[in-house]
Amino acid sequence: MDRKKGNDTNIGLPSRRNVLTTGVVVPNTSRCVQCGICSYNCPINIDVRRHAWLGEPVKDRHCLTCGECVQRCPRGVLRFEATNMFNEESILNGGK
Amino acid sequence: MSRFVIVGSGAAGIAAIQSIRELDKNSEIVLVMAEKEGYYSRPGLAYYLNKEIPEAQLFPFSKDDFSQMNLKIIFGIVESVLPETKAISFSDGKTIRYDKLLIAVGAKAVRSSISGTDLDGIIYLDMLSTIKIAIKKAKKAKTAVIVGGGITAIELVEGLIAQKVKVHFLLRKDRFWGNVLDSEESQLVENRLKDEGVVIHYQTEIESISGKKGKVFAIRTKTGEEIPCQIVGFAIGVRPRLHIAEKSGIKSERGILVNEFLETNFPDVYAAGDVAEVYDPHIGKHILDSLWDLARSQGKIAGFNMAGKKKKYIKDVPFNVTRLAGLTTTIIGAIGQKGMDTKAEIVRGESETWQEIPDALVSQYKFDSNRIRLMIGENTIVGALIMGDQTLSEALHQIVNQKIDISTIRDKLLQSQVPLGETLANFWKEWRKENAY
Repeated sequence: MDRKKGNDTNIGLPSRRNVLTTGVVVPNTSRCVQCGICSYNCPINIDVRRHAWLGEPVKDRHCLTCGECVQRCPRGVLRFEATNMFNEESILNGGK
Repeated sequence: MSRFVIVGSGAAGIAAIQSIRELDKNSEIVLVMAEKEGYYSRPGLAYYLNKEIPEAQLFPFSKDDFSQMNLKIIFGIVESVLPETKAISFSDGKTIRYDKLLIAVGAKAVRSSISGTDLDGIIYLDMLSTIKIAIKKAKKAKTAVIVGGGITAIELVEGLIAQKVKVHFLLRKDRFWGNVLDSEESQLVENRLKDEGVVIHYQTEIESISGKKGKVFAIRTKTGEEIPCQIVGFAIGVRPRLHIAEKSGIKSERGILVNEFLETNFPDVYAAGDVAEVYDPHIGKHILDSLWDLARSQGKIAGFNMAGKKKKYIKDVPFNVTRLAGLTTTIIGAIGQKGMDTKAEIVRGESETWQEIPDALVSQYKFDSNRIRLMIGENTIVGALIMGDQTLSEALHQIVNQKIDISTIRDKLLQSQVPLGETLANFWKEWRKENAY
C-alpha cells in the first residue's frame, strides 16, 4: 500500500476516497472510439469525449468525480488518477 | 498556398485535417464526403442500435468545430485520381485539382450474395444510413436471424435484443469466433447469449431467404430448416473500398498499398485507415485492420507528411476492447493458436493480426467469467486476451506494445499453479516504478 502517492490498489490505481477528494478522470485515447456514451451520461454535461479525443484529463472544476463516465464507458477508456499538486506534469501526460 | 484534398470523413480523414491545420493554418483544405451525415463515430453505431445513446450523440464535432478547421466541404463520390493533372474526378464528371491528396474512404461491409438479399429487411452494421434502416425494421419485427462471426455479429445480436427482437444466431462453424477465441472463451460467450434468449444454430448456413410482398418472411438453412423472420442481418466481413484505386491504377492488393509514410505509388497521393494495407513490422507483412485507433493514427501521420513534416508511421500492436455478451474483452496482438479455425475475413473492429499464430506458449488464468490468456514468447508477451475483469488490461496493452522484457517472471507465468494476475500486477507495479511510467 502506497498511501503517500494516494494509491492503494495492487497495481497503483487510486482508491475511491482519494478520487473523491483529489482525483481526476484521465482518458486513454487509444482505446476511445468517440461513441460519446461518457458525455451522454455526465450529470453536468461535461464533454468527456472531447477530453478523450485530445488525451486530456477532465480538469473541469465542475467535475463531480462521480464515476458515471468511467463506469459507463464500454471500452475502459477512462480511469481515475489521484492528482498530485507537486507533479502537474504527470497528470497532463495522462497519469504517466 | 497548397490545396489539400481529403477524400473520406471518417477517423483517418478528420485526424489528417487536424494534423495539417496544426502545421498550416492558411492553405485550403477540401473535405470530400460521400455520406450526407458527415463525420460520426462508426463504432458508436452499435451503441445507437442497442439504445445506449441517441443518434445525436454519434457526432463528436459540432458545426463550430468544423468552422474552426476552416474547410471547404464537398459532397460527392470520387471516381478516380488523374495524376498527370493532379486532379480527382467525381461521378458527375466534375473534377478538382489537388496538391496533396489523401484517400481515406474506409471499408464496406461485405454484402451477401445468397438469393433473397434484395428483400426489405436485410440489415448490415455498416453506415449510419444502414443502421437507421435496421432500427426502423426492428420496431416492427418479432424475429431476426443474424449471420456471421466476431464483434460485429455480436453487436447486431445484442442490438436487436435491446430492440426487443427475438434473435437466431447462425454460426457456420461449431463455435463462436473460433479463429480468435479458444473453445472455452467461445462457450462462455455463447452461454451468456443463450441466457439472454438467443437461439444459437451451430454449423448452420442460409440456403435462401424467402419474402412476401418484397419483405423478408423466412430463411431456409442448407439442412432444410425454415426459420420465420422479418430481419436477416449479415456480418460476414469488410472490404476496403478500392474503386478509386482500381480505376486510377493506384497500386493495391486487398487494400491500397502504402509505405511507412502512408504514400501510395502516385506522387503526393496518400492513403490511410481501413482502405489502406499497411506494413506491420511486428509480424513482417502487410495487414488489413478495421480499427478506429489505427485509422486515426494513420490519418494523423499522413496529415503531417502531407503538410511537409516527414514522419514515419510506426504501427502499434492492434488491439480492441469490446463487449461480448456483456463481457468486456480486450484483445491485444497475436492470439491465434494452432488448431484454431483457419483464417477468416475480418469484420469491423478487428485486425488480421489477432488471427496470427505466434511462436509462443499459452498461459491462462480463469475465474468464473474472468479470464486472462497470454501468448508468451521468448522474453516478451506477444498477445493477450482479457475477458471480464479489466484491471490488468492497460498494463498488458503496454507490456505487449512496448515489448517489455518479462524474462524475470516468464517461468512463473508458465506455471499453472501460480496466480497469473498477481504475478503480472506485481511485475507491472515494479516496472512502472523503475521506469517512472
